[in-house]
Amino acid sequence: MSVLILLIAAGGTVASGFLIAFVWAVRSGQFDDTCTPAVRMLLDARTPLDDASAQRTTTTESPVSTRV
Amino acid sequence: MDIAATAPLPGLVTDVCRHCGDPCGAGAITSAEGDFCCHGCETVFTVLQRSGLGAFYSCEVTPGTSQKQAGRRDVMRFAVLDDAAVAERLITFNDGKTARATFAVPSIHCSSCVWLLEQLWRFDDGITRSEVDLLRRAVRVDFNPTSTSLRRIAEHLTAVGYEPSLSPEDAPDRVPASRRTLHLQIGVAGFAFGNIMLFSIPRYANGAPLDPTFQRMFDFLNVLLAIPVLLFSAAPYFRTAWEAIRGRSMAIEVPVALGLAVLFVRSLFDITTGHSEGFFDSFAGLVFFLLLGRLFQHKVFDRIAFDRTYRSFLPLSVRVERAKDVEPIALEHVRPGDYIQIRPGEVVPADAILTNATARIDYAFVTGEQTPVRIAEGDIVRAGGRAVDLMRLRVLRDISHSHLASLWNNPIFAKTKSRWLTDVASRFGAWFTSGAVGLAIGGAIAWWPETGTAASVATAVLIIACPCALTLSAPITLGTAMGLMGTRGLYLKHPAVAFDLSRIDTIAFDKTGTLTETSERRVIESAGLDSHAWAVAGELARHSTHPVSRALANDRHAATELSVVRVSNIEEAPGRGIAGLVDGVRVAIGTTDFVGTGRTSSAPEDRTFVRVGDETGWVRVSSPMRPGVETAARALARSYDVHLLSGDHDTEQARWLDIFGRRMRFRQTPQDKLDFISASHEAGHHILMIGDGLNDSGALAAADVGVAVSDETACMVPACDAVIAGERVAHFPAFLRYARRARTVVWLCFIVSVLYNVIGLTLALRAELTPIASAILMPLSSLTIIGLSWGAMQWSARRILPS
Repeated sequence: MSVLILLIAAGGTVASGFLIAFVWAVRSGQFDDTCTPAVRMLLDARTPLDDASAQRTTTTESPVSTRV
Repeated sequence: MDIAATAPLPGLVTDVCRHCGDPCGAGAITSAEGDFCCHGCETVFTVLQRSGLGAFYSCEVTPGTSQKQAGRRDVMRFAVLDDAAVAERLITFNDGKTARATFAVPSIHCSSCVWLLEQLWRFDDGITRSEVDLLRRAVRVDFNPTSTSLRRIAEHLTAVGYEPSLSPEDAPDRVPASRRTLHLQIGVAGFAFGNIMLFSIPRYANGAPLDPTFQRMFDFLNVLLAIPVLLFSAAPYFRTAWEAIRGRSMAIEVPVALGLAVLFVRSLFDITTGHSEGFFDSFAGLVFFLLLGRLFQHKVFDRIAFDRTYRSFLPLSVRVERAKDVEPIALEHVRPGDYIQIRPGEVVPADAILTNATARIDYAFVTGEQTPVRIAEGDIVRAGGRAVDLMRLRVLRDISHSHLASLWNNPIFAKTKSRWLTDVASRFGAWFTSGAVGLAIGGAIAWWPETGTAASVATAVLIIACPCALTLSAPITLGTAMGLMGTRGLYLKHPAVAFDLSRIDTIAFDKTGTLTETSERRVIESAGLDSHAWAVAGELARHSTHPVSRALANDRHAATELSVVRVSNIEEAPGRGIAGLVDGVRVAIGTTDFVGTGRTSSAPEDRTFVRVGDETGWVRVSSPMRPGVETAARALARSYDVHLLSGDHDTEQARWLDIFGRRMRFRQTPQDKLDFISASHEAGHHILMIGDGLNDSGALAAADVGVAVSDETACMVPACDAVIAGERVAHFPAFLRYARRARTVVWLCFIVSVLYNVIGLTLALRAELTPIASAILMPLSSLTIIGLSWGAMQWSARRILPS
């Protein structure tokens, strides 16, 4: 039966790990806004500017293009 | 420039602003890209295209925010952001190299907004990242304070059409802190609940008794796990209950807190005496489910609040003196130097100077002081003052729309009418709570000799008693109803108005601007000319934008196509008429002396004379009925007592006779209307007044529900309870039906809740309900009520309301 004690200790450690991870996630603000990410994932990461900027770097028309 | 984004969208309606979707009225700008309602919208469109952000327009059709007011504000308004003290309020983090600031941007409303505002770094090298919080309408910007400044960021935001609000009341609320705590409390309770259940498995399995060593260890672990649930997760219930007891009032948290305390103490007692294993699983489970219900409730309320704040941007107008007469003008078109008229009860929209000899004004909305102040000519009147007498003012400064919107939502405008529902709910809540505590004590006494059962019964009663229908059903049902009506053109000022709407039995209509349209006019009577002559006159009329000319040009006589028409020598005399040659025939339309009828001007004033060659005729134009309004009024007349109150002559009486019968009153002054409404209210009727708000502000305030009709713009009549868009008046019966549905749903929730409580309490008192069963049932009943309220209103909106 002493294996039970071992199991409980192991299980408790794993569970506490998840609890700590959850506390960390909440504190770092990951649960602050649960609405916008749902909208954001529907938007394309690739924007028309990304296509255009490849050409722009050669003409140095815009300083922001280097960031793309 | 991006080609895909600038190509017109298929099926794009051209007379709608390409950027914001507002109808393009006077002053519209047409370009190769599309139509815009104002220069501001066009500028934003151009800025976006030039920065390669045209995809903004492909996420949604016309996603932008109207810029009509924006361009007219002071360009220096963000200079205050250079001030350290002001900047402090926005900046949440700053280490000299990186800073983080949060801007409140009230106009955020859709996925396109999110997309555009998160591309902010493309406009400024100093901005490293921007993140939108849609629900709270905030943008968090990370930037390098050495290469850019808060002021420049604010200007970038404004340039793309999202002007940040710097006023403290718009600041993104501090919800995150308490919400984070709630999440943590749920996490801790869930963790404890799961683990306690694991340690209780031997008991559930009902197998052979455990080795006493293990039993003691499990019991000890359970106590250890339950303590943080008691001290941390359940804390809000104990705190609220304690405050209520100290304040000698009753909160619904009292029985819950009592139940939790009894459960915990008894389990602890059982374990220490070795009597049983306790009920820590029920205890942790109850807290976990209660908190989950609370989280869900927060989410629903957030959603309702989001819909509500977006709708606080009401279009408003004020009466401005123009060359000839006084016209209602949208606030954003009012300029310093304009003369405006403010009628009694209306609110002064901008700082201005009084030009009448004397007048009285009160600043109840600004300072809360109700006593009117007497002011004299030349005195400055501050925006937000409410006129007691008719005032003529010269505008000094630009109008702040957001200032007015905040005034509109000011609780001082809320009527002192009995908020029947809230009163009943709070009184019933107190009664219910006391009843539950009483029942628990009574149940425990009845079972007394058996202490175990007595404690069980008391706990189960305290937990199962759930007055959630009272606390949740009304706010969620009515709040959802308000939000959904708002998206369909009826803006309620307060959720309780939806309930008031459902109790209406009498409806009084104003005529002009409510049943009839204000903008468009039509020929209703004509005489003196044959149809060919009318057609000739119509050709000339086509060259003028005057309402009478437009009516004449659109008339059915004039619609007869003339083969070849040449109109020349057109002269237009403002305020008098228009003349010209149509195929060589001299045609004149206008006043008697302008047309030269040779008659004296004894004819009724509302006639316009038309001369074609040597023949003379006349027309009378009038505003036509709004499409669909007649059917709507007829439908309402069947189930409500409907009245017509009109300030006009009774010349058009015949048109309304079969709907209103004898319940029509013409030549009514605003005071007459007010008297009629008050008399009806006093006689015990629940009366609804629907009017344009220009002449009816008194009557709207006196009615049980006052609905102002707005065509593009509404007058600032804070005394009304709701504003309906002009083209939605025809759908008013549907809104009333929907409001009645909301009431039915509230009652239904009450019934469900009463049934649940009766059954639950009976079982609990007969000791047939274990604490664990009540711990699961109680949050379940809350969820049922929330789901029922929200779902039923959504479903009904789709069925009843116009899309």
